[in-house]
Amino acid sequence: MPYKSWFPSSLRRFWFIAFAISPALACAVAFPVAAAAQQTAVLLDVMTTELHRAMSLLGNGSATGDDKQLSPYFLSYSVSEASYVSIRAQYGALADSSGGRARVADVQVRVGDPKLDNTHGDHRASAVNNLELPLGDDREALARSLWLATNSGYSSALDNFLRVKTEAQVRAKEEDTSPDFSVEAPQTHIGSVAPPVVVDRTAWEKRLRALTLVFREFPDVYQNMAVLTAQNETDYFASSEGSRIVTPHTQARLVVFAVTRSEDGMDLFRDQTFEAETVDGLPRQADLEAAMRELGKSIEALRKAPVTEPFDGPAILSGRAAAVFFHEVLGHRLEGQRQRGDEEGQTFTKDIGQDVLPSFLSVADDPTRTRFGSTWLSGSYEYDDEGQKARRVDLIDDGVLKTFLMSRLPIAGFGTSNGHGRAETGHVPTGRQGNLIVTSTKTVPESELRKQLIDEAKKQGKPYGLYFEDISSGFAVTTRNSPQAFQVIPLVVWRVYVDGRPDELVRGVSIVGTPLAAMKRIEATGDKSEVFNGECGAESGTIPVSAVAPAMLVSEMETQRQPQGTARPPILAIPSAETQSPLTATERKGDAQ
Amino acid sequence: MISLCCSKKIAAAAWICTAITASSLLAAQPTRADAEKDPVLKAMLTELDRNMSQLQLKGFQKPFFIQYRVEDVEDFQTKAEFGASEGSQRNHERVARVTVRVGDYKTDSSGGRGDGVPMLAGLDGDPVAIRSALWTATDQAYKNALAAYAQKQAELKQVQTPPQADDFSHEKAIVSLADPARLAVDEGAWAERISRASGLYRSDASVSASQREVEYSTASFHGRATTTWLVTSEGTILRKSATDYQETFAAGTQAADGMRLDRSYVTSGTSVAELEPEAAFAGHAVDEIRSLSELRNAPLVEEEYHGPLLLSADAGADTLHALLAGAVTATRPRMGTEARTNGPFASSYEARVLPDFISVVDDPGVKTYEGKSLLGAYDVDDEGVPAQAVNLISQGRLTSYLIGREPVKDFPQSNGHGRAGISGGPRPSIGVLKVSAESGLSDDDLNRKLTDMAKERGLKSVYYVATMGGEMTPRLLFRIGADGKRELVRGAVLGDVDTRALRSSLEAAGKELWVSNFFGDVPTTVLAPALLLDDATVKRANEKNEKLPFYPPPE
Repeated sequence: MPYKSWFPSSLRRFWFIAFAISPALACAVAFPVAAAAQQTAVLLDVMTTELHRAMSLLGNGSATGDDKQLSPYFLSYSVSEASYVSIRAQYGALADSSGGRARVADVQVRVGDPKLDNTHGDHRASAVNNLELPLGDDREALARSLWLATNSGYSSALDNFLRVKTEAQVRAKEEDTSPDFSVEAPQTHIGSVAPPVVVDRTAWEKRLRALTLVFREFPDVYQNMAVLTAQNETDYFASSEGSRIVTPHTQARLVVFAVTRSEDGMDLFRDQTFEAETVDGLPRQADLEAAMRELGKSIEALRKAPVTEPFDGPAILSGRAAAVFFHEVLGHRLEGQRQRGDEEGQTFTKDIGQDVLPSFLSVADDPTRTRFGSTWLSGSYEYDDEGQKARRVDLIDDGVLKTFLMSRLPIAGFGTSNGHGRAETGHVPTGRQGNLIVTSTKTVPESELRKQLIDEAKKQGKPYGLYFEDISSGFAVTTRNSPQAFQVIPLVVWRVYVDGRPDELVRGVSIVGTPLAAMKRIEATGDKSEVFNGECGAESGTIPVSAVAPAMLVSEMETQRQPQGTARPPILAIPSAETQSPLTATERKGDAQ
Repeated sequence: MISLCCSKKIAAAAWICTAITASSLLAAQPTRADAEKDPVLKAMLTELDRNMSQLQLKGFQKPFFIQYRVEDVEDFQTKAEFGASEGSQRNHERVARVTVRVGDYKTDSSGGRGDGVPMLAGLDGDPVAIRSALWTATDQAYKNALAAYAQKQAELKQVQTPPQADDFSHEKAIVSLADPARLAVDEGAWAERISRASGLYRSDASVSASQREVEYSTASFHGRATTTWLVTSEGTILRKSATDYQETFAAGTQAADGMRLDRSYVTSGTSVAELEPEAAFAGHAVDEIRSLSELRNAPLVEEEYHGPLLLSADAGADTLHALLAGAVTATRPRMGTEARTNGPFASSYEARVLPDFISVVDDPGVKTYEGKSLLGAYDVDDEGVPAQAVNLISQGRLTSYLIGREPVKDFPQSNGHGRAGISGGPRPSIGVLKVSAESGLSDDDLNRKLTDMAKERGLKSVYYVATMGGEMTPRLLFRIGADGKRELVRGAVLGDVDTRALRSSLEAAGKELWVSNFFGDVPTTVLAPALLLDDATVKRANEKNEKLPFYPPPE
């Protein structure tokens, strides 16, 4: 269901260059929450009533008495109601603490017919019209707001459909002649309403202060920040096809960033996220503080580490790194809509039934799974944002590509959704990942994997192999609209020497060539899988996702040195590094009065 | 070093006023020691001292000036549509802005990249956290300043004409400590009140008959409390505060031909108590809703009209704000030119810019006018310079400009008008701009004069603007017949209402002044009279008329 990300937008940018100061995200006082059951009834009821009224009146020519307009063939209302809390601390102090409630409606209008409608090609974004909806149960206010949004959505749909038809007449035949909207059975599922989010604000403010206070032990951590967002959301969906769905989604997320700059001007950062269904599921404070300390140590070590040299040889990706790697490099390319359209890479379009990975690897996306071991998976959901039931999709079986992540946008050979049409509020759903799970039948203990790395390096005559401990997904370091959204940026990389020397941390590693090529050269995997929970940004907005993978040995990975900045590190020491505060001018003079 | 005595100032909100007056009688001359009792100021001063004494990149010069400005903004907004709340937002943020200058007062690093770095600062009093944010911003600002200074030196070599003024003015340091502001509003009550206001189109019996014609009906409340701390390496230590509140209502419809018709109503003040009581606000909102029906039924304005035009004081304030507010400020001209400043009055110093019966003064020290508080009022500007009353236009002649610490030719000092939005750099701006006419006329006299002008010229009708919407777009425009009969018309835009018209076409002005408060990032106020123009243009706007709703609103 449309997800509203309350994560501060300023942090989605390349934030460590300068903290972008944006108007703080929406926040609010708590409004009295009426009985949940009643809210479901009224909101869903108004949505359904208004939807049917619009379907019966739009385009029948009697409404305003003027020229006959086309009737919509599909209309859906998708309402996301969220209560949330957001707390941010930096340098040991609170920077923001807010919370509130909001209701947002996405109205989707389609005119024409499923074969060719107003969403065709570049016009896809025009299908959704988004507006804020009143809170509470005032039927008149709710219906009026939906009417307003439907009107402008319909107007935009008519306009776009006209252009779609004109463009269709002047262009050559498209490569993929699939329809614009798949035929699906309506769904009915009235699930529970998420309770208002409950967070002990005072306690968590204290905890976040304490977490960022840890960085005072690391004077080379120039900037730091901890952000907690907890959100309980209920999604309501009604469509002209007869679907009526209510589902809850709750999520708590703690993100910590630490930033430094090396003497030669390279910006370095680490981030760590902790996710759970509610704040109570997040790690204990002592464990979090220990993790901060590890992060601080790692940043300081990284700062002093030598710069990488160009390398072409064997490498291991840790489970976490492999999970990010598969999500960014493989997962996004298996999204259905990327197989259609002139602008798309269509990497795998013609590969169905072909080997795309070594035969011991399989990849599935399973949003119905809520846990992996004891870890909660943030990419789980019951129904997707087009009202389709979530289901497990086996994308790659024993190395062979079987299918794609499908929304209701058909592609050649795949005419229906497989429950992966996802979007942030305000966006048209597209095929997206939920919980991407990589499994292997060729596993060895990680110590053995390391041994194999050394053997492979020796075989290739290399003095060392590389161990990628941590990789950042593109979302953390690129703007939302950046073309490099699916880039992977190695953060922590070690040289594993063949001659028995201790492993050596290096910095500035960047992967070159097509990362996809590296996937075909996976030789073996570890026997333990790791989970990466995060938020993923793409055309249909930012949504919560998970990726699960074991560590992997790759026989050949080509890397080079990252382009780096030339800005110098800070001239003076960070204030917390001073053993004691220098005397102020007044104190020096001894005339405090 | 002078010290501003707090008792000279009348603080915006009444409760603050009382507190300051009482405390300042006891300690009239605040000192740095007093300032250091405030943990935020103490942290700022500590970090300022450390950077002033130690910050230097080897082989480059040290800063000659550092300024820290920290703004604490508490903000509450609530909005509603069609009679129901859409929710509220409450934000509390603290933003630091660090300015570092290298070079000297004559030529420094200012301009473009050298003008300061914003940084989010912690909300707690924790000195290390505050200093850390300042430290990282100072480092960045210093490096930016060095680069900007080098670039400016290179640019100066490209031009023959030297700059006409110094880059930075010398000002006396002050120590002034006003009490911080806190936002105190009954959030739940405002959310409900706003919901009721947005539902008047259907709940008020006098307008509910036309409720299905209303396409949108919204209301909002916005309250803001800002505390600003400012310290400079010159010794200025400042703590000041302001509170602003605003309630708005807006509704719109379309005429039968599709033309969009919008009305809105706003009240503002420096305390919640100054906003209108709910019943009075509702009365005004209902008037706006009613006027939508009148506008729907109003005829289109004629295609084009040239002749006398009367702007009400309300419309006059909007017009003068658009034409004068930017023109009377002085900013550094382009390098290599002999210009004094920029904008329409760049070369108008000592020239006649208005008729000789008009005078214009900007006096941020005026806190109220006829009992109404003025949002644009302040005591000390955002560069730590006390606000001065500036006679800008005397008997029609431009005698001065509003200026901050960036001098222009003949104006080497700030007159306390360097103002900044949250996290932004200072720019000269109006505070309380007062436009007044010598022997101004009453509304009746102005109307009589308008109809007399029509008769003299043999015009069948003339025009009167009651309120303005967007720039040069009247919302309520009346055609006045030879018999004095008023008829509401719609769809007009004004033409030829510009600085030239103010200078040569302004026939008369009113004696009553309208108070227009602008609740912006930098709050400002314009006090203005009604304006009678000898020759202006009224014509059809010819905006695109959108389709009417495709289907009727819900029952």
